[in-house]
Parts: sequence; structure tokens; C-alpha cells
Amino acid sequence: NSGCSLALQAAIWQALNHYAYRDAVFLAERLYAEVHSEEALFLLATCYYRSGKAYKAYRLLKGHSCTTPQCKYLLAKCCVDLSKLAEGEQILSGGVLNKQKSHDDIVMEFGDSACFTLSLLGHVYCKTDRLAKGSECYQKSLSLNPFLWSPFESLCEIGEKPDPDQTFKLTSLQNFSSCLPNTCTTLVSNHNISHRQPESVLMETPQDTIELNRINLESSNSKYSSLNSDSPVSYIDSAVISSDPVPLGSGTAILSKQAQNKPKTGRSLLGGPAALSPLTPSFGILPLETPSPGDGTYLQNYTNSSSVIDVPSTGAPSKKTVSRISQAGTKSVFSQSGNSREVTPVLVAQTQSSGPQTSTTPQVLSPTIAAPPNSLPRRSSRLFTSDSSTTKENSKKLKMKFPPKIPNRKTKSKTNKGGITQPNLNDSLEITKLDSSIISEGKISTVAPQIQAFTLQKAAAEGLMSLLRDMGKGYLALCSYNCKEAINILSHLPSHHYYTGWVLCQIGRAYFELAEYMQAERIFSEVRRIENYRVEGMEIYSTTLWHLQKDVALSVLSKDLTDMDKNSPEAWCAAGNCFSLQREHDIAIKFFQRAIQVDPNYAYAYTLLGHEFVLTEELDKALACFRNAIRVNPRHYNAWYGLGMIYYKQEKFSLAEMHFQKALDINPQSSVLLCHIGVVQHALKKSEKALDTLNKAINIDPKNPLCKFHRASVLFANEKYKSALQELEELKQIVPKESLVYFLIGKVYKKLGQTHLALMNFSWAMDLDPKGANNQIKEAIDKRYLPDDEEPITREEQISEFGTDESQESSMTDADDTQLHAVESDEF
Amino acid sequence: MTTPNKTPPGADPKQLERTGTVREIGSQAVWSLSSCKPGFGVDQLRDDNLETYWQSDGSQPHLVNIQFRRKTTVKTLCIYADYKSDESYTPSKISVRVGNNFHNLQEIRQLELVEPSGWIHVPLTDTHKKPVRTFMIQIAVLANHQNGRDTHMRQIKVYTPVEESSIGKFPRCTTIDFMMYRSIR
Repeated sequence: NSGCSLALQAAIWQALNHYAYRDAVFLAERLYAEVHSEEALFLLATCYYRSGKAYKAYRLLKGHSCTTPQCKYLLAKCCVDLSKLAEGEQILSGGVLNKQKSHDDIVMEFGDSACFTLSLLGHVYCKTDRLAKGSECYQKSLSLNPFLWSPFESLCEIGEKPDPDQTFKLTSLQNFSSCLPNTCTTLVSNHNISHRQPESVLMETPQDTIELNRINLESSNSKYSSLNSDSPVSYIDSAVISSDPVPLGSGTAILSKQAQNKPKTGRSLLGGPAALSPLTPSFGILPLETPSPGDGTYLQNYTNSSSVIDVPSTGAPSKKTVSRISQAGTKSVFSQSGNSREVTPVLVAQTQSSGPQTSTTPQVLSPTIAAPPNSLPRRSSRLFTSDSSTTKENSKKLKMKFPPKIPNRKTKSKTNKGGITQPNLNDSLEITKLDSSIISEGKISTVAPQIQAFTLQKAAAEGLMSLLRDMGKGYLALCSYNCKEAINILSHLPSHHYYTGWVLCQIGRAYFELAEYMQAERIFSEVRRIENYRVEGMEIYSTTLWHLQKDVALSVLSKDLTDMDKNSPEAWCAAGNCFSLQREHDIAIKFFQRAIQVDPNYAYAYTLLGHEFVLTEELDKALACFRNAIRVNPRHYNAWYGLGMIYYKQEKFSLAEMHFQKALDINPQSSVLLCHIGVVQHALKKSEKALDTLNKAINIDPKNPLCKFHRASVLFANEKYKSALQELEELKQIVPKESLVYFLIGKVYKKLGQTHLALMNFSWAMDLDPKGANNQIKEAIDKRYLPDDEEPITREEQISEFGTDESQESSMTDADDTQLHAVESDEF
Repeated sequence: MTTPNKTPPGADPKQLERTGTVREIGSQAVWSLSSCKPGFGVDQLRDDNLETYWQSDGSQPHLVNIQFRRKTTVKTLCIYADYKSDESYTPSKISVRVGNNFHNLQEIRQLELVEPSGWIHVPLTDTHKKPVRTFMIQIAVLANHQNGRDTHMRQIKVYTPVEESSIGKFPRCTTIDFMMYRSIR
């Protein structure tokens, strides 16, 4: 019976790995009906969850007792997905009312999954307004597993400033191994059984992993010997890249008996390191699929390629690095000569079906590699890719590539949940692969292999850590709104990482926050070109296009996004922006509301809806929207700005100033914010302060014409006409077609009594405003035509100062009427 | 003038909206009618559909009352009337009155329509040529073509001017360079 259930489990995992959820669910239901064990329960729940039905997993798990960590974790994850945060918290940490478990308790209980558990718990705390606790959880999660990016990201977003250098580093062996799920035990035990049960491995605690790692470090000989009868030494000695590609061949031979011909796809994290600098991190190929426990072919893939120390083909880092590698990958294995083991035929069969990158050895560039890079046989570069860049590679320092287990873990959280075993096999293979490749170097043979192995593993991970540090610094800078610095840091990433959607979107957003919309647009359109499936960040792109008033591009973007993913709030935000630009505010409101429906935790949708309500003069609704945005994300400075704007419109200037200041506290670099604060301060009669603020704004962003304009208007209000004029003349040079500039110049001249110049400027202002609806300009001209009657003029000047005119007793003569008749159009 | 010229149709108000200079604010008001035939009431008058219409059912003058919650600046009124489809139901004399409430309405515009065939734009300005600020607008149909008793009105839209200067009491800016920096979105 147990054999049957084992076989069934293997079948289920295989189905899961092939995304054949109907099969997986069906079989899992049968298994659970047969064997009411908690492992079977977990497996069934996993099948439900992976097939996208979190509610099924939730109800299933709730209906039964969950004592194992993975069941609890999965249940908690379902709770969070279904927005049952309190329940999720209860499961993970003992709940709101009971005595809560400490982090150490959680680590003890969840073992390998502790880092994910803590990350999930952190998320719950942050969403329930306990930012300090959430931050603690995230920190702890990162200390357990520095490969996790999302806790770091969340920390940045709540306003913490985690130190990337401290976070992304491999502090100790303990850390290193505990990040990885169980490594070698599966390999060791795997050779005995054809199908591995996932659950038994899942039970391993960090203690085991340390154990495993030690095993790992022990003479690789012992490992080999556990796999086969051949003396591994012979492999090691004779292993030279060109002649013996598979030191582990024998090992895999055994495993291959259990092999199922399952294609594996790997994914290259990089096309290859940006070979320009030996310090650029690269960490090569990762297996995309997690092998089912009994899948020996997966192991084979790895072992076969392991001996090939590939030189990553970067050369000229092209924007299409990923695709380039993928094509190359398959070939390289084929071109591998000396695959004399029995593995070869299987290899050929596999790699045909496997994903492009599988066969290529993961590469890791690390400066800490003991062997002098140049000593690597040049053959490997040829093997890696067919691009011309290989020749360049040869000329550059060759780098050792080592399979990174770690990135695998980092990127495939899926694999770690239920299928923690799978990566184990991978890991073990990779470790052994490392051994072999190091050993096959020949150069390194002088050093004890196991230490070499460990060093190289660490080097592999170091490469990744280095990249994460840089990206972390860039992201942290962006979240603190040090946009220029963020752009700087991110631009220095290796180009194959730079030209990816995520990085470019961050840079685009940085430009957006700097109000450099042209640059932002350029970057975002690049993102659309290279990753047209990416929706995250597209809402910023749509707002950029809104600012630039590029209605065609915005329309195309919104159509494309809404066609592609109707469940993403970003797509509906883009659609809303599109209609807002067309001044169809009702439709825009509808789309923003739809975005909120699709994701009620998406702050930006509320903000945009608020702006739209302001445009339709429904200020109460707008206030509610902005407040909602702040509820969802207190650091959403756009919403604070929005509140300030409403209070300004309602002439509640102190409230306005307070809210603008709050926004400024979050984003101190925004010249637009400073400009607004300056205007409000002026309205509060704090003109000196206003001028200071505006000066600061101009210093930060000299390109912002509105700052200069408002500075001129404050000077004008303070009767500093000469300075105002000077400012305006400069502004005229910068933006020669802006009617407001001429309008204000006209007003200054009017005050100075130079009516001729005033009138000239007013008429220029009129000309530049084709819509002709600017009553203020018309009225300004009206006043000019009054006969030399000082009194009415001064009175009217005061009134016109405010722009909106009350009804006055101005006596307009017929001459005035006819004068302006041609200009005025009561029609549209 | 011996033979009255036909009232020419005006442009579609949608174009007016797109200029960004005005905004339709009928939705912010309470509409009422002096009388109507069941199924041909306020909803049909405000449904953006030129096929449906309001049909009055009482004695003249027929009134459309538009009441705002607060004093609102109204720049233009747009009325759709079509002689070809409505014949004797087409209004021929319309009076527009504004005021604070029913008791202090004042006529500010009276217009004669001669076989209209589309949108009629009625600018509402006070004595100083500025858009009128009012709590209430009343559109009174004083007479119909061919002396018809009841009237049809297909659509009415009310427009307010848009100030759009987000900060400072200045008129709207005209270049994108200025507009880009005008607000944070």
C-alpha cells in the first residue's frame, strides 16, 4: 500500500510539475481518500492552491487539523490570499489574543520555511497597521534567507531603510545552508528508491541542512561512493573538461535508471555576465522545473552539463541576451565532446526536449575563485554559445561557472512550498557538480576538493548577493525618493540586468518622480518593447503620457494592457488616465473604480480616482478617495498632495500647507511640491517663506518653469516689479509660447503704469490662448480701455488680482464693446 | 426681416467638452418638469439619447427647472430640438430665467427658434458679459411651432466654465511645458 501511495505521489508531483492540474487534483483526491494522512492532505491542498483555487485549499485545510509546518504555512497563505488576515496571523504566530510565538519559536517550528513564514507574517502585520512588528519579521526573514527579495522590498516601501550591504550577504555557513532546503540527504538516499517522497524530506529541520552541508563538505569521494561502486577518485583524476564531461556520470547512471524522460527547462538568470568587469555577478542557469522526486533525468541534465565550464557569452551585452543564450544552450551540450558515458544517449534525448538553457552550465562569476580563470580550457567558451561573443569571451578572463543552488531557491518560491524536495535533488546534484567541475579543473586539484567545492558554492552565491546588494541600494534610494542616486546606481548594473523590465521600470519611475517625463517616457517605451507582458509599472507610464498629453500613445497603451490582463489594476488605471486626458471624466471615474474593484489594496487607483473627482468638482468624494489611498499606503505622497490640493481649493490654506508638508516629508526632492507649498505660504501671507521655498524648488529643479512663474507672481504681489519682470523675461526665453507669462508681464507693466506694454502683452497672451476662454485676460484688457479714471481701475485691479471677478460697476463704453467684440466669442 | 431664417444647428456639445474649457454639470443639479407624459420625463431628457424626449402634458408655459446645491457658474445651455421629427411639438419661443428660487427668477435670455434642426447653444451671461452665477435655472417654453400645445425636448445640457488652474488664481496655462509641472498625479 505504501508503495502504491509512493507511486501515486510521484505521479502527482509529476503532474504538478507539468502544470497538469486537473490530473494532479484528481490523483491527489484519490490519494487523500485512500490515505488520510496529513501529507496527503498537504499534497491535495497544494494541488488546489497551485491550480489557482486558494479557497479550496483553505476550506480543505480548515476542515482538518493541520499540525505539520507546511500545512500550516499553506493554510496561512490561503488566509492571506483570501484577506483573512487575523486568521492567518493566528495560524502562524498564535494569534492576536493568545500569547504570540517569538521569532525563534517560529524558526524552530517551521525550519526551512521559517523565512517564508516570517515574510508572510510580516505582511500580515504591515497590513494590520503594526509596522514595527512587520518590520521585525521582515528583518528576521531576511537574516534567515538573504535570497528573498520581497521582504526587502516591503521594508523599503514601509519607509524603513534596510541596509543592502548588511542584508544581502552570506554571513555564515549556517546561513548559507539554511537558506537552502535539504540538500544532500535526498541524493544520498535517493539512489535507493526510485521515487522519493516529498514529505519525509520536508520534515528536515535546519539541523539537517547543516548536517547535509557537512556531508557536502566531506570528501566528495564519500558521496560518490554512496552512489556507485566506482571509485570517485578515478573520475576526479581523469576528469578534464574536454575528455570527461561527467565526473558524476556513474552517479547519474544509477539515477538514470530511475529516470523518466522528462524534459527540463532551465532558465538563465543572465545571458552571461557582463564580461566587462570580473566583478559583475552572474549566476547562470537555473532549473525552471522542479523535478519530481523520482525524476532522475533531471539530475542527468545537470550532471552532464556540469563538467562543461562554460564561459558566459556576453561580449557585447545585447538587449536580447536571454534569447541568445537560450538558443545557444541546446547546442552547447551537443557540441560537448567526450560524453562517453552511458549518459550520453539519454542526454541527447533530453536536451532536445528540454528548455534551452538547461544544458548549459550555470555560470557564476566570482572573484573569489581560487583557480586562475585564464587557465580554463578555452573549449568551454565555444560550448556555451554560438555567438560571436564567444570569441570575445575567450579574450576576456574566463570565469568559472558554478551551479547556484541558491538562486534556484530564491526565484522559485513555488518549489519550496510543497515541493521542497525537488530542489534538493537539484541541490545535491549541483553540489556534486560543483565538486566535479572544480576537480576537473585540474588546477584546483592541489586544494582539497571539498573545500574548493564549498568556496566555489559560496562564490556563486556571492555573485548573486553582489547583484542583490546593488539592486537593493538602487531600490532603497528610489523608495526614499533619492531619485537621481537611484538612477545612478541602477544604471551601473550589468547591462543584461539593466535591460530588463524590472530595472528599467524602476528607473522610469525615478525619472517620473523627478518630473522628467520625457526621459521617463523613453525608458518606459523601452520596457514595452522588451517585456510587453509587464504590467507592473505601466500605471506610471500611463500617467507620464497623461502629463505629456500624448493621447494616441496612451490610448494604445491602455488598450493593450486591458486586452492583456483585465485583472490588473494597472491596466484599468491606464484606461482611466486615457479617458481623463480626453476629458471624459465620467468614464475615467468608472475605470478607476474598476481598478479599485480588481485590487482594493492598490493605493494609486484611489489617488487617481480622487484626482478625477477633483476635476468634476466633487470634492467630498475626492477627499474620501485620497484618504483611502493613505489608508492603504501611508507613504503614498501623491494622496497627501491630493488632500492638500482640495484644501487649497477650499481656501483652507493652513490645512493645505500641512498636507503638502506631509507629502514633502515623504518626498523631499519634489520641486512641484515645493512650488505648491510656496504658493500656499504666499496665500497665508508668509511671503518671505514663500520665496525661500520657491528658491529651494528652483535649486532642486531649474527646469521647472512654474516655480519661476510663481516666484515672479510672489515678487509681483510684494511689489518687487523689477525682479518680477526679470524673472518673467527669463521665463519667456524658456517657454516662449506660454500665455500665462505674457499675462503676468502685462499685469506688471500695468502696475508700473506702462499701459502700452501692458496691452501688448495682454494681447499676446490672448493670441496664445486659442481657446479664448480666459476671462481674466479679457477683463484685464477691459480695464485697460477705461478712460483715464484712476479710481475704478485701482478697484478693479484689486479684484482682478484674484482672477475671479465679482460683478462690478465698470462702465464699459461702446468703444470697449466693439473693440472686444471680435475677440470675445460667446459661442465656443 | 420678412421671411425668418431657419435657426442653424450648432456644433455637438461633445466637441465643446473636449476643448477642456467647459464641463457638463447637469448631474450636479436637481431637475424637475412642470408636467410630463408618463415615460417621457426627466430621464429621457437627460439620457444622452437624442431619440428619447420629454413630452409635456399640461398648459403653457412648460417649464424645466434646474436647481443646484450651491451657486454655480453656468456658461452655456445646449438644447436639442428638431423640427423635422417633432413638428408642432418643437418649441419656438424659449425663455431662460435664473434666480435663487422659484420666487425670484429673472429672465436673462429669450430666444426664438425657427425650424431648428439640431443643437442650440444658449450662452448665459449677466450684465457684465460673464457667465451667470445662480442657484437655479428655469427654461420656459412659451410657444411651439404651429401653435402646438405640448412640447418635445430631446436633450438639455448645462455647461460650466473650467478654471483648471490648479494652483494660484491664474488663468489656465497653454503649453504642455507648464501643464506638466502643474500638478502631481
